[in-house]
Amino acid sequence: MKKWIYATAIAFRREFRMVIRDVGVMLFFFVLPLGYPLVYSLIYNPEVTEDLPVAVVDECRSAHSREFVRHADATQAIKICGYASSLSEAKRWWEEKKCFAVIYIPADYSQKVGRGEQGLIQFYSDMGLLLRYRTMLSAMTELQMATDTDLRTEAMNMAGIPSSATASVQTQAFFLGDPQQGFASFILPGILVLILQQSIMLGVLMLRGSSKDRRRLHGGIDPLDTEGPASAKVVGRTLCYTVFYLPTALYVLHFVPEFFAFPHIGHIADYFLFILPLLIASALLGQAVQFLASERESAFIVVVFTSVAFLFLSGLTWPRYAMNQLWLWLGNLVPATWGVNGFVAINNNGSTLALQQTNYLALWVLVAVYFVCAVLAESHAERTPVKPLYA
Amino acid sequence: MFFDVVKRELRRITSRPIYLVGILLVPAFMSLLFVSLLGEGLPEKVPAAIVDLDHTPLSRQTTRSLNAMELVDIVDREESYNQAIRSVQEGKIMGFFVIPEDFEKEAIGGKAPTITFYCNLTYYVPGSLVFKGFKTMAVTTSGRIVANSLVEKGISQGVAGAIIQPMNIAFHPLRNPWTNYSYYLSSSFLPGLLELMIFLMTAYSITMEIKRDTAPEWIRAARGRISTAILGKLFPQTLLFLLVGVGMMSLMYGWHHFPMNGTMGGMLLAMLLFVIACQSFAVGLCALLPNPRYALSLCSLTGILAFSLAAFSYPVESMYGAVGIFSYILPVRYYFLIYLSVALDGVPVYFVRLYYVALLGFPIVAMLLSPLYKRAMLKPVYVQ
Repeated sequence: MKKWIYATAIAFRREFRMVIRDVGVMLFFFVLPLGYPLVYSLIYNPEVTEDLPVAVVDECRSAHSREFVRHADATQAIKICGYASSLSEAKRWWEEKKCFAVIYIPADYSQKVGRGEQGLIQFYSDMGLLLRYRTMLSAMTELQMATDTDLRTEAMNMAGIPSSATASVQTQAFFLGDPQQGFASFILPGILVLILQQSIMLGVLMLRGSSKDRRRLHGGIDPLDTEGPASAKVVGRTLCYTVFYLPTALYVLHFVPEFFAFPHIGHIADYFLFILPLLIASALLGQAVQFLASERESAFIVVVFTSVAFLFLSGLTWPRYAMNQLWLWLGNLVPATWGVNGFVAINNNGSTLALQQTNYLALWVLVAVYFVCAVLAESHAERTPVKPLYA
Repeated sequence: MFFDVVKRELRRITSRPIYLVGILLVPAFMSLLFVSLLGEGLPEKVPAAIVDLDHTPLSRQTTRSLNAMELVDIVDREESYNQAIRSVQEGKIMGFFVIPEDFEKEAIGGKAPTITFYCNLTYYVPGSLVFKGFKTMAVTTSGRIVANSLVEKGISQGVAGAIIQPMNIAFHPLRNPWTNYSYYLSSSFLPGLLELMIFLMTAYSITMEIKRDTAPEWIRAARGRISTAILGKLFPQTLLFLLVGVGMMSLMYGWHHFPMNGTMGGMLLAMLLFVIACQSFAVGLCALLPNPRYALSLCSLTGILAFSLAAFSYPVESMYGAVGIFSYILPVRYYFLIYLSVALDGVPVYFVRLYYVALLGFPIVAMLLSPLYKRAMLKPVYVQ
């Protein structure tokens, strides 16, 4: 036992030196988690899209129709870019992407409203980006309801019914976790967790790949490897990566949301304790799949693309309840899946660690599973000779 | 000599699995992931809850109507706001609908009580769907109450309807009336992924010549002509990536009937130019940074940031100008714009001719940078 602890300590010290002497790994362990969150935040920081150009085809040309267009222009989402003489002219504007939607007011709109029938306005919307469509849709829905209220009061007064005498109900919507409905506030917290996991995996696989490169150079032996059982090496290395990542995690999960004023209402003790098993599980997962890195540079090819896959499997963009069993289980095997859902609940929804017991326990289960896999992978790697690479 | 280099490259990429994994298997796996994961198009039946504090026939009817909606699935009946918030925090529900105490009484008495609903927007898509469902329900509920009270005052049903909603807006989402999310995500993220893998595999196969010290032999196979060396090396990969790209297109537009309102020829040409543009981008980067670490790091960086910068979901015009401008150094941006106009909108290719020209610009820049290869390849220095 004493020997085992000694071997662990040696592995820890050796790995520590390897990391700080390797510029490539330092890029992954420090530059990437420090820089990426800032870049992502800068991209999405304006949060909302506004003043989308919309064309109008007004065949009614009445006070009612002009008022409607004026109100549409006054919304945050929409900016009227001009009056087209016909729908086909408006279509041409849309084809040239001069406008993203067309408001069509038919000739009988004002007449119908005045007669006590329902006036109908057509709204044709570009569907290229979902965010544009959603922004315009909610602006137009709000506008429709406000216009209805105005016209209703007018009509009831004319019919001689005092509007206070009839029943009425108000509605109010609240957005949890992202009160301003901003894009950055939605996507960033999840991405932050993913950045932690992916940068650890990249660094770990690069270190393992480099070890194989050294064995290739030195007749099958890595001169920088330490003595001792595989489990001691795995524990020593994992501790080393975790120690490196504690300050990084504090920066990524605490300071980045503070810098950019993203939703950040969780308690620091909750999310810090929560993220610990994610860091450990990611470091172990990297070692468990070390056979994927046949050399140093393989890390780029086998890890980078998984960021996109893991983002989707986490359920952030496409909800997990709508996935089939296969993808659900593949997602269950990824630490970031639990990490993203738990961190988002704590950070955006103000959950406590106690309420995240499913996610938290799942992360510790993954730690146990990947520890066993990592030890097996390590002893397998020690036993198998490295193949020479020609290309 | 061109074919000497091609033959040499074919031997290299078949000598170990990683080339075929990066060129064929990864894009194939990701295509299946996207198309199958997003297969439904719209994640309906969002788990939600209702908090009914009124307990009257009216509130029960609202609950029933909510349950009958396609968009939401009422999985829970909570007794208080606090309990409902807890369920949101635990991730069990994406939103809840609150009918306040004495709702029916106050509504009929003209005191205008408020129906409130809460949507968890940390999950954007289900959060928005829940909002849509709840909003519709709140509006219909309030409309029904007002209509009933008008009819009681002796106004005919038809007129009451017009009084409640004197005007309406008919929404026409052009070319995607189902608001199918897979059309957005698959048809933008898959080309983005293809770009990432082309960047990485191109940079990898070029810089490995430096790492393994085979670069002088490579240049010799091309009789010392850098352009022949690069073209011959990348030609087999161009064909393979084009095969992958066309495979992705047939999976989406053929197999899964994604909207293809324009000419297929226009899209195929765009795919060809896109593959070449991505390879040229990586060739240019390797000319400036001829070592595996920096070339591959920069390719990963741009390839991954492209998913955000090329504005698949958040529009360029809303980004800061100094950030948004980087969108236009990415080949996938132009391919995406062509896809939007030609495949989705069905606009004639004429309207997007400039984007095709822009894609042609990438190989031209790469050609201008290629003289830088000579020094790097004849005296290769491997930086770990």
